[in-house]
Amino acid sequence: MVLQLVPMRERADDVMVRVFTWSFQHIGTFQTSGHKTLFTWLMRKARELAIKEALPETALTGSELMKQEEGMLQRFYLILPADQQQVFRLSYFKGLSITTIARLLALPEEQINNILGDSMKSFRQFLKDTWN
Amino acid sequence: MELKFYIESGIIESFVLGLASEAEVEELEHMRKLYPELNTEVEFVERRLERAAFDEPAMPPAQVRDRVLQKIRWEQGHAYSDPASNYTFINIQPKDGSHITVHRWWKIFFIIFFIMSKVFLFLAIFYYLKYRMSQDKQGNNLPHKVKQEQIQIARV
Repeated sequence: MVLQLVPMRERADDVMVRVFTWSFQHIGTFQTSGHKTLFTWLMRKARELAIKEALPETALTGSELMKQEEGMLQRFYLILPADQQQVFRLSYFKGLSITTIARLLALPEEQINNILGDSMKSFRQFLKDTWN
Repeated sequence: MELKFYIESGIIESFVLGLASEAEVEELEHMRKLYPELNTEVEFVERRLERAAFDEPAMPPAQVRDRVLQKIRWEQGHAYSDPASNYTFINIQPKDGSHITVHRWWKIFFIIFFIMSKVFLFLAIFYYLKYRMSQDKQGNNLPHKVKQEQIQIARV
């Protein structure tokens, strides 16, 4: 999951170290996080830390770069319509807020919210179709 | 029925992926209190996502585990260290007799000493040159004096 956000093995390993260290120190917050499984609680924190670790897109070249298309979320992203793809990429993979995405795409926040909502509906269906 | 629409809106997936806004998260928490069956749905979604991720695992190298444990032990050591405890600390810095440890005041002393030595060196050169100039002046006046003395001797 981290490799889909930070496609460089060494950097992804650094994120993992930070995630598990954080989880050890803050395990008490799992109960109040609203999550039911430890995995998704860790995954959420991993995404948060991985986004901070993100590199400029131009830097993502070279042999150490992992194949991003192999991940489940990447595959889901590729089946989305173009507008949903754009919003989902900026929101999930880049960690941008709705306000920032609206400014970037010169669209009203309401519309971005709707597009992201549609992509979440698609994601629900995507998960249900394969892993129900 | 309304709950079904709420679930189908993908709000749970949005929360699980960390894409929901603070307002949406608060709303979901409130809804979970009102409709406890939502908790089951949250668990279903999380399990699906977990299965999806475990279907294609990218295992981190074994060193990651060691690094995590090392970091935890290190931070734990700091967190739980009691300064009042009667611990014996062993200095593991090797001292082979070629190094000495001095008080930090020595650093300031050496800086002042260095600056003062430069100032004195400058003054020494300055006064030496001044002395040389005065000597040269005296040297220029000397032939004139000798001439006067010679004239006086001739008159005598």
